[in-house]
Amino acid sequence: MHNVLVIDDEVDVRDSIQRVLERAGFLVRTFDNATDALLELHRAPADVVITDIIMPKLNGVDAIHRIVQEFPGVRIVAISGGGNFDTSGYQPGAITTTAYLAAAQSAGAYSILTKPFESYELIEAVKHVIGAGHA
Amino acid sequence: MAQLRSKFANLVTGCVIAVHLVLLPALYFGVGYVIRKSHEDLFVQHARTFARMLADEFEVGVALESRARTEDLLDLAIIHGESRYAELTDRDHSIRSALGPPDITAPREPEMGFHNGGDDIYFILLPIVHAGQSAELRLGFDERPTQARIQLALDRMLLLMAGYLCLAIGIAAYLSNRLSRPIRRLQDVSRSIASGDCAQALHVSTSIQELHELAADLEAMRRELVGMNDRLQEKIREKEISETRNDELQKQLRHRQRLETVGTLAGGIAHEFNNVLVPVILFTDTALQDLPSGSASRSDLERVLAAARRAKDIVQKILTFSHVLGDTTLAPTDLRNVVAESVVLFSALAPPSIEVRTEIAEHVPLVRADATLAMDLVMNLCTNAYQAMQGNAGILTVGLRVAPAAAADSLPRVELWVADTGHGMAPTTVERIFEPFFTTRPVGQGTGLGLSVVHGIIESFGASISVDTAPGAGTTFKIVFAAIAEITPAARPIGALGT
Repeated sequence: MHNVLVIDDEVDVRDSIQRVLERAGFLVRTFDNATDALLELHRAPADVVITDIIMPKLNGVDAIHRIVQEFPGVRIVAISGGGNFDTSGYQPGAITTTAYLAAAQSAGAYSILTKPFESYELIEAVKHVIGAGHA
Repeated sequence: MAQLRSKFANLVTGCVIAVHLVLLPALYFGVGYVIRKSHEDLFVQHARTFARMLADEFEVGVALESRARTEDLLDLAIIHGESRYAELTDRDHSIRSALGPPDITAPREPEMGFHNGGDDIYFILLPIVHAGQSAELRLGFDERPTQARIQLALDRMLLLMAGYLCLAIGIAAYLSNRLSRPIRRLQDVSRSIASGDCAQALHVSTSIQELHELAADLEAMRRELVGMNDRLQEKIREKEISETRNDELQKQLRHRQRLETVGTLAGGIAHEFNNVLVPVILFTDTALQDLPSGSASRSDLERVLAAARRAKDIVQKILTFSHVLGDTTLAPTDLRNVVAESVVLFSALAPPSIEVRTEIAEHVPLVRADATLAMDLVMNLCTNAYQAMQGNAGILTVGLRVAPAAAADSLPRVELWVADTGHGMAPTTVERIFEPFFTTRPVGQGTGLGLSVVHGIIESFGASISVDTAPGAGTTFKIVFAAIAEITPAARPIGALGT
């Protein structure tokens, strides 16, 4: 059974992803911030990390960098709903959804998903990265 | 005061007349006196000489020796000496010429001046001594011919002076008029300049150096005024144009700022919504798997899922609107392919009541655009046009043509237009159509994002859009692109979108 670690500051997003993936047969742990998730990874490894990009404290792109460095075997799926604001408020002219996801991809995310996504898209994405990891 | 002022010509003429009125009488009386005096002196001289000659004749001759001789000599005085009276008086008798008028009486003491006594006769008394006897010769000379000569001379002089006065007045009038004409011209021009009319050029031809220079100075001043006036008007015009341009730019800036603000807000809301939609979609999907097919709850949840997916599309549109500026990748694009493909797609979606026409020019230059977004653009405009026709029958035309260049040295422009035969729009509506969420349709029948997305896409292309519409007269949206090449390459098959 594959281990999936979900990082998102929205509880409903975390829980709904957990529900879908558990039904699909994955072992899911959820965290509302990347710092705690990194500590947890040190304690118990995971196969896949699904992380939001725009988050308070440690943002998703920096988190991906650290995971790639510290846990090279972990496959990362980045998710983002876009929007041009961060934790400090609305930022006119800030980078866009595509740019967030592009940044995540160049940081080392293996797959990217734009919010909102369908259940099957999520499951396929996770299966895809696990398959690639095993290949 | 005004009545007392006289014109220059009248003043000069008046002065000349006044001077002559004083001088001419003085001259007349002076010269008259001289003439009179000389005539009188001449007369008196003549009379005395004649009388002396006659007296000598009596003294030395034989005239006194007979009465007849004496009478003859006295008659001679009347006939040849212009006398009217001639008498020789002895102690006891007198002899008088019978030729003179008999009513004349000689005074006892004859006056020795001309025109004395009022009888027009100048009397002379001469004592004669002949052969020891003494007698008296009395002669009376006629003064009238001399008076007539004096009068004639005076009359002639008066006539001459009158002629001279007329000539002097004429010359004065002519000269003053000649002098006042350029002054009047200068005055007219100064007045028209003072009243704001500087267009009249000042050409004064005069032989008077000072007036000529004054006219030249005034003309130079007028030219300077005209130049200054022109420069001022030019400045005012420039200022007006710049103000109009400024207003236009301000308006555009405000519009852009409003769109940017709304876009920023929309982007933020879209992010929140996307996060909200994740659990809605995922939980609903999971719940659906637990419910048996055909149950009422399942059907309800399917509707929830469908609604959530529609919400996802709406949010996608909001993001397109708010991100379109940053996300586009512009490349040389053949709009003919874009239009053709969009029309094929739209025709499949549009109801049969709507006739879709295309008017695509054969040669269209390439423009800088994003093919996918351009297609979005055409689809949005077509959807808008279709909605404007409110389900009635109508004609929708999508056209593409080459418009002339804005400037002679720039490349031509490409015009893409979408025209409908729908209900048209009022000017107040036109002002707001590109604002996000502005819609004229009832709540629930449209997101109001179509035209704001269109506007965002057009801005990202650096193109411009204009609307030609009136209530009840249909609407034409016209988009103008700057061409990036003179001639389009050979037409590619429909479907080969983009580059």
